[in-house]
Amino acid sequence: MASIARKNLFEDIPRLLVAQAGIMFAVSLVTIQTGILNGFTRSTGILIDRSEADIWVANQDMVGLELTLPISAAFLQQAQQIEGVQRAEALLLSGGTWRSPQGKITSVRLFGFDSAGTLFKPFEVTQGNLAELKQPYTVITDATNLDSLDVTQVGEAATIGSLSVKLVGLTTDVQSIASGTFLFSSLENAKAYATGNRTANLNCRMQNEEFQCTNVYQQSAGANPASLQPMPLTSTDAISYVLIQAEPGQDLQELKQKLEAALPDTRAYTRNEMAARTRNYWVQRTGIGFILGLGATVGIIVGMVIVGQILYSSVADHLKEFATLKAMGVPDRVVYGIIIQQALLMSILGYIPSLGLCIGLGAWTFATQGITILVTPIAAAGIFGITVFMCVGSALFAIQKVTRVDPAIVFKS
Amino acid sequence: MTATPINFQMNLTAPATKAAGQGMEVADSLNGAKAIVARGVEMVFQNGAQKFYGLKDINLDVNRGDIQLLMGPSGSGKTTLLSILGGILTPSAGSVCLLGQDLTRLNRSQLANFRLHNIGFIFQEFNLFPALSVVENVEIALEMKGTKGKAARREALHLLDQVGLADRAQKHPRDLSGGQKQRVAIARALAGNPQIIMADEPTASLDSQSGHAVINLLRKLAKESGRTVLMVTHDPRIIDVADRVTYLEDGMLQNSSAAVTHQLSA
Repeated sequence: MASIARKNLFEDIPRLLVAQAGIMFAVSLVTIQTGILNGFTRSTGILIDRSEADIWVANQDMVGLELTLPISAAFLQQAQQIEGVQRAEALLLSGGTWRSPQGKITSVRLFGFDSAGTLFKPFEVTQGNLAELKQPYTVITDATNLDSLDVTQVGEAATIGSLSVKLVGLTTDVQSIASGTFLFSSLENAKAYATGNRTANLNCRMQNEEFQCTNVYQQSAGANPASLQPMPLTSTDAISYVLIQAEPGQDLQELKQKLEAALPDTRAYTRNEMAARTRNYWVQRTGIGFILGLGATVGIIVGMVIVGQILYSSVADHLKEFATLKAMGVPDRVVYGIIIQQALLMSILGYIPSLGLCIGLGAWTFATQGITILVTPIAAAGIFGITVFMCVGSALFAIQKVTRVDPAIVFKS
Repeated sequence: MTATPINFQMNLTAPATKAAGQGMEVADSLNGAKAIVARGVEMVFQNGAQKFYGLKDINLDVNRGDIQLLMGPSGSGKTTLLSILGGILTPSAGSVCLLGQDLTRLNRSQLANFRLHNIGFIFQEFNLFPALSVVENVEIALEMKGTKGKAARREALHLLDQVGLADRAQKHPRDLSGGQKQRVAIARALAGNPQIIMADEPTASLDSQSGHAVINLLRKLAKESGRTVLMVTHDPRIIDVADRVTYLEDGMLQNSSAAVTHQLSA
């Protein structure tokens, strides 16, 4: 049988193109908004996802990866003594202000990790050499951060606080959309930037029947911090996380309990729990997730309105034809089937190029801005479902017009 | 010729309407003598609190195989009556019996089914599907009526041959003249071999030559196949080919029921 739906669509190509442009806009709007939300959500936990740590040990008040309180570096040694722990590494987060040679400043987030370790290597170095992080005052960063750091290539120098810094490598796809510029360095360098290269002394005393400890940072008289070599981490220093690799076959929940019992005022999280907690913080506790979620919702609503108007207009244009079918005695279900078939065709024709467009746009924003518009296969399937829902839902709305049409209009010239 | 069987019960009693007192004539229709019997048909339109009659006390018989014209000035109710007799509009009162079936007893979907299998419609503005080719316009009607695939294509081409348009089968309506479009519409109306053809001003949009061609075609198709043709028209040329003419004015058939029809041919 000749498909009235298909032939009606392709009868007037310019009109079809205009209609499809509207649907493509709607689908792209939904895809981009949900893609940005997904990309943002992914990026906030990407460092955790890509770590090799089975368990993350953090301060008990930790909210998310970047919002935590320090714990004692002594926990690193203690954790290694716990049965079921195969390996433990420290992760030290600090922040600072990067000043480029041209004097431009930007906020940076520094991740100090054991560059000889295995548990925190969430990136591939695309330029430079990871081994150079062992050199004093060196960092690597994501290639998309070059603009914000106001540098152009590996080897350029700048300052963080009062200390010099040299860019020795570039990575890719590890920058969080929401955070300040991520820098990665050795633990020693991170400690130096966190403390201003001062020496830490832990003073503990009993006060009001409570045992209180305080880190006191001291600088040698007459010494220029910038001329000093970064110092290794000691047990009196503060770190942010202890990353744990469990022994093969070890029950992670059981190991978590052991770690929490042995390390006071800490909480242990599996990698997935840690990533989920961080994402939850960004998506639910900050306004960013809400705004992006609102954008995605508005995208879907606006998309439905646009598609609805297009389909309604299309049905209105062919109303006399549908009335003719009804006058001839063609059952309503056949007439509705034609409209729904047309809606499905429009959804497919709108979806495929839109998806291609958004994937291309996503590749461009990732390459130039480091911002991922994430369209996973599940998201793509979901957006296809939304597209079909938008089109068929609009068709069902438009069908109301056909339901009410008086077949006697066929006799009116 | 009998009505195409459809899946609802035939009404074998006189309709319980205003026309109930004229059961004898309804019985004639049920016995097959009449293709169309209308009794006491009224159509009331309401505009706010104001009511007015579009049709009032219409009694009409159309014999099987006749070409019957409905004539009258604009606004006289011709098209409304055609819509009611064609089962598209439901009258406010009265009964309509087609091919022995009381249409007022049928629900909406049964009416649609009856129309699909027993009535072919021809419209003043042709109402062809512009996106479909000529043959597809006829084919789609056949498919809707149950003829599928190659048989539908074969039958569509045969019908187009009957109206002299086989060579235009692959064209689109936009490529045809008005007369040719109306011939396609006639071929579509003949799809599924309906026993009744209802036409609304079939020559109104045509020039003189095309109008003549369409009139002759309708007469040929009616007389050769014994179909009943009910036609609303202003075109006096068609009177020459009609068996009966009924005049309508202000929603009423002129004069008494016996006198409203003008016998043109024995």
